[in-house]
Amino acid sequence: MGLAIEAVNLTKVFGIFKAVNNVTLKVEEGVIFGLLGPNGAGKTTTIRMILGLLKPTSGYVKVFGIDVTRERKRALNLVGYMPQQFSLYEDLTVEENLRLYASLYGINGLEAEKRIRELLDELMLAEYRKRPAGKLSGGTRQRLALAAAVVNRPRLLVVDEPTAGVDPPLRRYFWEKFRKLRDEGVTVLVTTHYMDEAENCDKIALMSRGSVAAEGSPLEIKRLAYGGDLLELEIVGNPQPIVEEFGFKVLSSETRGGVEKVTLLVPDASLVLASLTRALERSGVKVVRAYPVPVSLEDAFIRLTASSYSLKR
Amino acid sequence: MGALMALVAKDIKQLLRDPRSLVMVLLMPILVMFMFAAGYGEERGGVVPVAVVNLDGGVVSWQFIEAIRGSGNFRIVGFSPAKEIGIEMVRKSEAYAAIVIPQGFSDSIIAGKSTRIVVVLDASYATVSEIVWQAVAIAVQQFTKIAAEQYSTFNIDVMRETVYGPKVSNLDTFTSVVMGVLLHLVPMSLIAVSISRERERRTFEQLIMTPITSAHIVIGKLLAYSIVTVVDMLVTLGLSVLLLGVSVRGPLMDLTLVSLLLLVCSLSLGLLISAVSRNQLQAYQASIFFFIPSMLFSGFFMPVELLSPFAHAIGKFLPMYYFIRAFKSIQLRGWTLADVAQDCAILAGEALFFLVAAIRMLRLRVE
Repeated sequence: MGLAIEAVNLTKVFGIFKAVNNVTLKVEEGVIFGLLGPNGAGKTTTIRMILGLLKPTSGYVKVFGIDVTRERKRALNLVGYMPQQFSLYEDLTVEENLRLYASLYGINGLEAEKRIRELLDELMLAEYRKRPAGKLSGGTRQRLALAAAVVNRPRLLVVDEPTAGVDPPLRRYFWEKFRKLRDEGVTVLVTTHYMDEAENCDKIALMSRGSVAAEGSPLEIKRLAYGGDLLELEIVGNPQPIVEEFGFKVLSSETRGGVEKVTLLVPDASLVLASLTRALERSGVKVVRAYPVPVSLEDAFIRLTASSYSLKR
Repeated sequence: MGALMALVAKDIKQLLRDPRSLVMVLLMPILVMFMFAAGYGEERGGVVPVAVVNLDGGVVSWQFIEAIRGSGNFRIVGFSPAKEIGIEMVRKSEAYAAIVIPQGFSDSIIAGKSTRIVVVLDASYATVSEIVWQAVAIAVQQFTKIAAEQYSTFNIDVMRETVYGPKVSNLDTFTSVVMGVLLHLVPMSLIAVSISRERERRTFEQLIMTPITSAHIVIGKLLAYSIVTVVDMLVTLGLSVLLLGVSVRGPLMDLTLVSLLLLVCSLSLGLLISAVSRNQLQAYQASIFFFIPSMLFSGFFMPVELLSPFAHAIGKFLPMYYFIRAFKSIQLRGWTLADVAQDCAILAGEALFFLVAAIRMLRLRVE
């Protein structure tokens, strides 16, 4: 698989403020890549540099191997972009906006008509086609923005905070769309500060104060945050010998009504759950329940960025 | 009261935090007054180029010519022994007036008789004609005073003749100025805010993510605004001729073409302003800023040649200078496009220059 985005050592300085500091991102083709982080972490600045909207202070960007600053036209033909704020013409209708953007990508005549009809249906915009974009509700506007971003059938779709201020059904709808696009082979780069959404991504990079704090799949990120998975056991008896034998770390334990609740740090919960339970039972400890603890990305993020030492791999 | 003060403080802060606009706000009046003083304040400025037709050739006629030269108001650009040649020079705008000294001038003065000189004026420049007329009167008076000591009492009458006359109405005189303002300031400020408006409304960010070039954006806007404003221009020109009775001596088509050239030039300059401005306020102020020298140094009130060399030098860079010249010549003198080809070529050249500069200055980035 080739690289859809190769951004190397990107740095952007505004005056004396370093908005992005030495960020390297390599995004493989055909994945949903999430750029996560709180507001002000440098996500938008990073994607603007990737798209050539901002000139990096240092570093370079290639999209499908094409240098964005040197071969702008060739690169932009492969890219679709949905900015954070609605950026289409409010005084043009839904249809006029789409037709304009089709033409700007060199799609005209019957081909354009076909594509626009397709998009109107696909994004449930048909009933609004004659309405000025400025008179649409927030959700419809976002759907129009997405339609305009994919009018040229991009191989890379970049979406900046698509779900900010959007109601939950539409958020879900958007993620379904992104997954569908990914399944069609489109690479999706999406920024968000909603950590729960990021579970939808194949890969994520956590940004904090202008740098990438961690990178990997959601599962890897969580493991990175704690150094493994969390496993909770509710048992009667002493688990100490077996836990030591396995070499797991006990993070906490409390006894309530004769049942001890132990939280363990294990390398991979799904692999060790069965063997650990069996070993405990064999040693005479009664296992009431044993289950991996779901860790939220939010917890992981806070752990990763709060620590003073670098967790960057 | 507290709320009012808070709003005042807020607006002052906002003004102070847009340094580019602030510089223009503070610097504009100072710069304009300086330019005004430099252009209009210089006393030696108003030297009128005139032709002298000496039909007499006697000693006294040369004394008279010397008196005219010595008055400091005239620069003699040509001597001619024939009145027709003098008139032709005025017609071609090579001289602003021709002073015709009649045959027998010397004899009449020596004999203490009455004589009469003729001043041929260009009626299409009413203000200049008035200045020339007065200056000639003063020169004649001074000559009379000095010469009276040498010769006996005599009398010189001054007679007025005009080319492109006899009289041009105020309406006709100021049509070029009004058209100039309409074709310069209005389209320029209109288009100047166009790109900054896209920036402020953020549509620019989406637009420049498509595979288009800055030439697409600049030329696209030029064509769109040309189409819209040209209709306005035709209506204005049509109304002034048909309804207000403005007279046009040259071909109306040529006048329309000259107007179109200024329109395109104004739009191109506006686009250049637009390409380098960061917000709409800056763009709007910059348009006004560019308009003021056009008002002062393009011959709105008086030909810049009669102002200081500084004013003349500035005028030569301004599209409006060439427009006023070309428009007046066609409208009031009945010239054709071929006669003002040079002015038109410069107008077109400036338009092209502004356009290319706008394309080069427009960065397809959001910084």
